[in-house]
Amino acid sequence: MPATTQAPTPTMYKYDAFDHAFVRDRNKEFAGQVARRLAGEITEDQFKPLRLMNGLYLQLHAYMLRIAVPYGVLSSKQMRKFAHIARTYDRDFGHFTTRQNLQFNWIKLADAPKILEELAEVEMHALQTSGNCIRNTTTDQFAGAARDEVADPRPWAEVIRQWSSNHPEFTFLPRKFKIAITGATKDRAAIRVHDIGLHLKPSGFDVYVGGGMGRTPHVAPVIKRDLNPEQLLSYLEACLRVYNRYGRRDNIYKARIKILVSALGAEEYGRQVEEEWSRLDKAKVDAPAAEVNRIKSFFPDPAFVDGFDSAAFERARTADAGFARWVKNNTNPHKRDNHVSVTISLKPTGLPPGDASSAQMDVMADVADAYGYGELRVSHEQNIILPHVAKNDLYTLYEKLDAAGLGTANAGKITDMIACPGLDYCSLANARSIPLAQDISQRFEDAKLTDQIGDLQIKISGCINACGHHHVGHIGILGVDKQGIEFYQILLGGRADEKAALGQITGKGLSAEAVPAAIERVVRLYLDLRTSETERFIDTLERVGRDAFAEALHEHA
Amino acid sequence: MSTPKANSTYDAQLVTNAGDVIPNGWRLLADDETHGVDGPVVLGFDRALRELDGLNGHYGVRINPGDDVRLLEPFLDKLTVIEVAFPGFRDGRGYSTARILREDLGYTRVLRAVGDVLRDQLFYMLRCGFDEFLVKDKDPAEAVTSAAKRFSTTYQGAADSARPAWALRHAGV
Ligand code: SF4
Repeated sequence: MPATTQAPTPTMYKYDAFDHAFVRDRNKEFAGQVARRLAGEITEDQFKPLRLMNGLYLQLHAYMLRIAVPYGVLSSKQMRKFAHIARTYDRDFGHFTTRQNLQFNWIKLADAPKILEELAEVEMHALQTSGNCIRNTTTDQFAGAARDEVADPRPWAEVIRQWSSNHPEFTFLPRKFKIAITGATKDRAAIRVHDIGLHLKPSGFDVYVGGGMGRTPHVAPVIKRDLNPEQLLSYLEACLRVYNRYGRRDNIYKARIKILVSALGAEEYGRQVEEEWSRLDKAKVDAPAAEVNRIKSFFPDPAFVDGFDSAAFERARTADAGFARWVKNNTNPHKRDNHVSVTISLKPTGLPPGDASSAQMDVMADVADAYGYGELRVSHEQNIILPHVAKNDLYTLYEKLDAAGLGTANAGKITDMIACPGLDYCSLANARSIPLAQDISQRFEDAKLTDQIGDLQIKISGCINACGHHHVGHIGILGVDKQGIEFYQILLGGRADEKAALGQITGKGLSAEAVPAAIERVVRLYLDLRTSETERFIDTLERVGRDAFAEALHEHA
Repeated sequence: MSTPKANSTYDAQLVTNAGDVIPNGWRLLADDETHGVDGPVVLGFDRALRELDGLNGHYGVRINPGDDVRLLEPFLDKLTVIEVAFPGFRDGRGYSTARILREDLGYTRVLRAVGDVLRDQLFYMLRCGFDEFLVKDKDPAEAVTSAAKRFSTTYQGAADSARPAWALRHAGV
């Protein structure tokens, strides 16, 4: 597709008058609350629940605004708005999160209403990005594009977005509530470590309930198979009602639905849901077919271009090893043979995972317009995705990204780490996460080594709250505090895909200085033990067991 | 800057969903107090379950967050007022209680929110079917009328008469 002056219109949901009115009402209300706070008419204590409902947190050094990116789907226009906000109201960068959202970490309270107004212009807001309500639904970053997709989860994510917006019964749940959907054979949405995970198949939804991380991680059991999609909302309403009534409220650490489901047992919880469901007036709750079809109509395929000049493509690959490597690591098979999905890595060596400058955001918006049908995605690995790129455009795209510092070829590799904000931003942290991620990525800076190692996920959390998903990293790292000194516990064998499992803690904690070398010992051992290059780290670990690896980790500790 | 007074420090007043401040004729009976003859009383939940079977007349009942509202089903025709307690802003169990009463059990008489009822919850309470509020606010009547107008768009069917966006979108078809 040649670059044109006319930006393409991405195929995504568009607000109608009802959606616009909803966000406008909410912003007007919040602007009033901010004005009352600035005038001293309400105290910080009174203001706190109100600002949290609007995604505004008070962090260690400043206010943080968390903006919802519904199921991670963004238009180029929205990305440009982020760049503008970063430049105008923040320190010229933003941080993409594991919830497929965007955070601005240096916001002034007085600016918040203006920022929300600007967001509303591009159909965005910061609602339900905090508080004990139903949060942003997440999904496969390659939805609507992946070759292994069976059914498109995006229309259902939009149906859930609307149903969960300002839900009158479920705004004061025991704890926050997160739903994830996948419609592919490979689970890239980590559905089994969510409060509710939905697997969309031709026969309907398989519903998993009670997964999660944090202090007591659980892999969710299935509680219903082949749910008729037309009854999704009433079934979710029943799931949530049982949780709202019986979830624990006496202890914040036992309040997630995973604790309820494991206390009752999956079978008994499922029985109570069925009972509640049978008593619900489903016609009142479920969106009618006309509405589901209206929403589906927003997600057609883009006008895919035809053709592929494979000779030119091969020439570019041979001439430019960097490009060849990037194609190998950062593209995902597309349902059209002459297209791919591209991962733009936000994990260059030595920089905080998930950060992007305003200039980089502008570049990503521009390349999305020129080569990506105007659409982008945020992945829960904190990268940016161009879901549809014609192979003919790949080399030009790569050169533009690389020139902007966005050409790192490490998607899914050892240096493509997830790290929570940690001590640099978060008031709950025991330890730093971002600097440790930087140290590790420096250790594995060598591209050859990275490629040799292949797919390996490292995930780092600065405390037991597990925002960095350390339980499901192939190698998980957890920051702990021992008498005022930062230590890191290493976990092995976690995964969040269709074979979801929790990592196990190995031995004593290590100091920050010792971690990169310890990980290198584990990786070297894997390279020694693997039967072939196609046996991934997680496969070898499964085959030979954790003990040998745990020993290598703690060799000198 | 003088410290503003928290709304929660005002005395609670009873307001209807129409925004009228009305006197409260009902009194919560202590569990060891006898019924007597002096006016309408609200019974504690467990006591109501024990005694309503043998009582004739009209009563009120107080439902706390942990109580299973469905146990009241056999006695609903003896109840004129149901009070649902919100002991804290964050405890949302009362919203489910209200919807079950209205939409599942078909209760049609007075449904009252009591306890820590602040203006920011009223929109949700109205949608879940409450029609009276013992609300703490500087201007409780205004709190209720403005809550009713807070959002022009709703996205779900609930216990009130508001039509969700999906119904309005397809109203012409
Ligand atoms: S895991 Fe802990 S340190 Fe990291 S962001 Fe979450 S709460 Fe903060």
